[in-house]
Amino acid sequence: MKKFLMVLTLSVLVVSSIQASDKVNNEHRSMLMKDMRTMFEAMEQIQRGGLYSSTEDMKLGVKKLQGTLKTLEGEEVKWILPKDQKYAYQFAQKTASMLHLYSDDMVTSIDAGRMDDALEDYSQLLKQCTSCHVRIRNW
Amino acid sequence: MDRRNFLKVVAAGATVVAVSPSLIRGNLYAADGKLYVGYEKAQIVDAAGVPIKASALEKEVTYIFNYPYASTPCMLINLPESAEQEVALKSEMGEEYIWKNGVGKDRTIVAYVAICAHQLTHPTPNDSFIQYVPKNKPTMAYGNSGIIVCSAHLSAYDARAGAKVLAGAASQPLAAVVLEHADDDTLWAVGILGADKFQDYFRAFKPEFKQFYSGVAEAKRLVSISAKTVKLTEFSKELIQY
Repeated sequence: MKKFLMVLTLSVLVVSSIQASDKVNNEHRSMLMKDMRTMFEAMEQIQRGGLYSSTEDMKLGVKKLQGTLKTLEGEEVKWILPKDQKYAYQFAQKTASMLHLYSDDMVTSIDAGRMDDALEDYSQLLKQCTSCHVRIRNW
Repeated sequence: MDRRNFLKVVAAGATVVAVSPSLIRGNLYAADGKLYVGYEKAQIVDAAGVPIKASALEKEVTYIFNYPYASTPCMLINLPESAEQEVALKSEMGEEYIWKNGVGKDRTIVAYVAICAHQLTHPTPNDSFIQYVPKNKPTMAYGNSGIIVCSAHLSAYDARAGAKVLAGAASQPLAAVVLEHADDDTLWAVGILGADKFQDYFRAFKPEFKQFYSGVAEAKRLVSISAKTVKLTEFSKELIQY
């Protein structure tokens, strides 16, 4: 009987810890998915700013984009990668650092009045996004 | 040679150059099996500036040197076995060219531009996703190792055969660095064979050049006299290989 109770207690503990871990994973995942949607909105805002000559919109888009990059830069990014691509989280981290680099350069270019360079930075930002999505979706 | 013959020779030379200016620059883009640009000959030296001896290169180690521009990284590899000879290759534009062979005593030494033909992934002082994968190390990019792998999108290139594409999304071989092996066992880079992606690279990585080369002008500076070479493990802080 004693043995049975011990096994039962252990099982309950294991199951509840798995459930707790799943809950944390799901919270992580939904937070990162939310960040992905924000990144999409940020890219739209930058593009709109570029097409309608609103440097203010472009800068706001950059700010919004950079606010989401923390999730890609850490190992937490593993939670949103497909199972067979989790190992490639360093690629996502590299993508995040390139997004930082190009978006910083975009602001510098806007401030210097070099709109050609700023729009080229936008192209490179978009390329980084597609490059990562191509990778994680095995396209 | 009298004056008249001298003028004839000069006029003939001028006509040839006028018809094909590429002869002056050493460009040999053509459908005659060549796709080659000659650059200033540069001796491969170590970090201290001492010429590297071909026989002293460690086997299956990726060395990095910048050529023909100050920011264009190239890989130097001493393969475990002789490279293939007279390999027929094709650029993504359909131009055909021949990669001759490796150099060194056993034709095991090869060099390629380390800018992936797919999306221009290249080694930086921060990290490298592209490298030679030794024979005893597995890769997800291809069944066999002893090849060059770009782990960004898993393109695989045949290091023994002019960096021919073996797998992945790359649409053409890596451009090759043409090496000369001198009698004193030193190595020299003399040109680039194949379709390089230098202009795309210069356009795409401007912010990176500001970070690592103090600007685009320095990044585009042509290498002269010598090219410093270090192991990839010393060139990049972090190597990522799948």
